[in-house]
Amino acid sequence: MTRRQMLSMIVVAVVALATGFLVAGQVKARLLTPSNQVARYQALVRSVQDLEATNAEARARIAALRAQIDALESDAAGRSAATQALRGQVADLRAHAGLTAMHGPGVEVRLANGVPGPDTGGLSRYLVNYQDVQDVVNLLFAQGAEGIAVNGRRITPLTAYSGSAGQVIVDQGPPLSSPIKVTAVGDRNRMAAALDDASALPDIRARQVQFQLHLTFLGSPDLLLPAYDSSLRIPHVSAS
Amino acid sequence: MSSRGPLSRLAPRRRASGRAVSVWLIALLVAAVATIQIRSEAEVERSLVGIDTTSLAFLIDDLHRANESLQAESADLAQRKATLESGGSGAADQVLSDEAKHLRAVEGLVPVHGPGVVITIDATGLTALDLQDALNNLSAGGAEAMAVNDRRVVAGVPIEQMGNGVAVDGVFIAAPWTITTIGDSNRIAEVADAMTQQLRADRRVRQASYRVEADVSIRAVVSGRPFLYAVAS
Repeated sequence: MTRRQMLSMIVVAVVALATGFLVAGQVKARLLTPSNQVARYQALVRSVQDLEATNAEARARIAALRAQIDALESDAAGRSAATQALRGQVADLRAHAGLTAMHGPGVEVRLANGVPGPDTGGLSRYLVNYQDVQDVVNLLFAQGAEGIAVNGRRITPLTAYSGSAGQVIVDQGPPLSSPIKVTAVGDRNRMAAALDDASALPDIRARQVQFQLHLTFLGSPDLLLPAYDSSLRIPHVSAS
Repeated sequence: MSSRGPLSRLAPRRRASGRAVSVWLIALLVAAVATIQIRSEAEVERSLVGIDTTSLAFLIDDLHRANESLQAESADLAQRKATLESGGSGAADQVLSDEAKHLRAVEGLVPVHGPGVVITIDATGLTALDLQDALNNLSAGGAEAMAVNDRRVVAGVPIEQMGNGVAVDGVFIAAPWTITTIGDSNRIAEVADAMTQQLRADRRVRQASYRVEADVSIRAVVSGRPFLYAVAS
């Protein structure tokens, strides 16, 4: 074996060894060897996904418990006129608190992300944010809405909005993101007129022009709102 | 003359070119694997664009708090169900009366009291959107009942911009604004602190302050409105 042949064999062996290590590493990591940053991201995303699953289970349990309580109360009301009267009062209060599904005429508003502008400087103003949802809901309530749901999540007297970077959190629900559908039942004509008013929702209108943020609405003779499926606890409040 | 003849000189050349092809093939494979590796990492990073680590951490915090609240609600409902199952119409009356009392407080139909924070903002030119944002931040930060200048506020009460200022439920509210809140006063105080600091940096604001109180009273109530269009399903 010449020296040249020996050298070639060594090169082939080294390259084969390197390839072997790379392929093994690749397979082990399913075509991905995460950097620390990516691994941290993935851990956080997994936590969010786990918490969202717990959240969905808890809301389903609450909805089921409310239905069971309603059935038990209905049985009791069948046996007593006083209980029946009390149940009527509670039914009205529940309806106004958003604890009962409702339907009627109304509007459906659709909000969707725009496109990033050239001069956004890292800001996310092209994304639908929780304040946009808050503004639309407040406008609709001010203009005759009797009940509202955001992506199927019912708005209650205690509703609060939060979130960041295109994530919208309504009460204890999981984060919502574009497109967002706000469904309102109530005075359809008044709500439609308010949504058509160019002076209403000034921030959204400005971003429609700047980032093509999407805001459209459609009236309907009959829309359905689901019942609220989360907590209405006010542990620090006592009736005077 | 060699005994191998002329063809024997081609064999080493074939072996040499075969090795060269092998080396090139392996090099190509290495390049392909490296490319896949780099693209995979880039792909993952692209998929996470829009949600930074800090936002994810806040999201986790919010979801933890939300899930705790849902668990507490679930426990309350399970207790209510157990009471209904164990008793007759007397138990049902008690459960219904308790719920009516609770929902009246939730909907702002009765005066309430409890620990809380009172925020005072003296300013000129603040808008309905400013007030809506402030109330939403307080609500998200633990306020369970609120009033502005003795006008009860719950979600759904209109806060609108009028020609001469801001109106809550159709009634003009003059400066200074006093926002009364009841709820988890530690959490609300954190929000109030950040809010008043931010307000003090606003040219329109003359003064912004808050105080924590052990027992805040909100006497104002919302007047109930019957549904005209909506029908319970």
